[in-house]
Amino acid sequence: MAASTRKLDKVMFSIKLLRNIQQQNERFLSTSMRRLAEGSDGGKPTKFTPPPKPVIIDKTQSEASLRKFLSPEFIPPRQRINPLKFAIERKDMIQRRKVLNIPEFYVGSVLAVTMADPHASGKTNRFMGICIQRGGHGLGATFVLRNIIDGQGVEICYEMYSPRLQQLEVLKLEKRLDNNLMYLRDALPEYSTVNLDMKPVPHSVTGDVPVNKTRVRMRPKPWSKRWERPKYNVQGIRFDLCLSPEKLEHAQKWAEPWREYDMLKEYDTTALEERFLKEVQTEMSKSTSP
Amino acid sequence: MRVNIQMLISHGRVARKMGLGPESRINMLRNILTGLVRHERIETTRGRADEVRFYAEKLIDYAKKGDTDEKAMKMANFWLTEKDLIPKLFKVLAPRFETQPKAYTRMARIPNRENLDKAAMAVLEYKGNPFPPLQTAKRDNELTLINQLLKGYREQRAQQAAAKVEA
Repeated sequence: MAASTRKLDKVMFSIKLLRNIQQQNERFLSTSMRRLAEGSDGGKPTKFTPPPKPVIIDKTQSEASLRKFLSPEFIPPRQRINPLKFAIERKDMIQRRKVLNIPEFYVGSVLAVTMADPHASGKTNRFMGICIQRGGHGLGATFVLRNIIDGQGVEICYEMYSPRLQQLEVLKLEKRLDNNLMYLRDALPEYSTVNLDMKPVPHSVTGDVPVNKTRVRMRPKPWSKRWERPKYNVQGIRFDLCLSPEKLEHAQKWAEPWREYDMLKEYDTTALEERFLKEVQTEMSKSTSP
Repeated sequence: MRVNIQMLISHGRVARKMGLGPESRINMLRNILTGLVRHERIETTRGRADEVRFYAEKLIDYAKKGDTDEKAMKMANFWLTEKDLIPKLFKVLAPRFETQPKAYTRMARIPNRENLDKAAMAVLEYKGNPFPPLQTAKRDNELTLINQLLKGYREQRAQQAAAKVEA
């Protein structure tokens, strides 16, 4: 058996040698033929054409959202300020966004933020948590991330356009029933904990953002704010488990039913939103072309 | 209380304080607005007229959307306490202001009220109302020197033109 394999090996080796020589001859012949052909054209040497670069499709980085989403800090509040100020600010915001990718996220999504920190080993620190509030306008836009680490609730307010921010990842994109989740401070801790080893949950780039309809259970009163009052308009708390119907009725005394009919309080931003969305999209697409 | 300049600065608050509180203010404005829609020209204090002006114009903007619009009907139902004025709003006032984009009301100031409070009064009206105009166009006094000279000049020019036409 061994002897036959050895013989086979020798045979294979000799075949390979022959093949190599043949190939070399062919190559030699082929290059010479090409050279002869080139030479016959005009006497110029063959131009080195580099091989095409391999196209790397980076699937780890999520694609840009195809939803029509304008970040709320682009919409200016109703003020008597010259709109030129907002135009200049928008330009600066877009310039920062070209450097740092600020993804689409909502209150209730889980984010991980890496920030430059001169006192940390490795010069960066990473924090992840649920976004409970998005505040501010323009370059001073902020978002607050909440998490419970070692039994201690931690909230960090980051400025979106701060040069210290190095990376913003959306680990879970979702919306909640409210625009402001400050009541999580008075809710049971399980609703504010985010696992530090959480892997990014894949989300679709088109279509509606999933709405998480969880209604949170609260700790016993007193709370930091009277969340049952209609001015906070909280949908995401299970009031039936913590308050009696009399108390809920009593809270409705602060209802102010005329507010929805008060035309002075209306601020119609649809036209502004469309305009700014178009502007932001054109400016961002300009950056990718050169 | 710390009395400071901040008390004189409104910091972006555009709603006047009226009556006993925000609810009372809205109720008062509702009543005045209903009166304005009924009579199309009313006389109130200056502050109230100024406040109602904004709401009157916004109500017309809502009425322009048409009475099939849910929100417009809700607004009209809330702001007009006398419900027989809702068809008047949609069928008379809204078509009247179809061509105009913005200014539907006119406010004119009046001498103070005769009562003890001597309140500053104003008249608020919707444009295009059937009453005679509030302010007639003011003509200059014809008996001043310059106006007399101008009158003479105009007559001279007219005579010269007539002479040219004959010749």
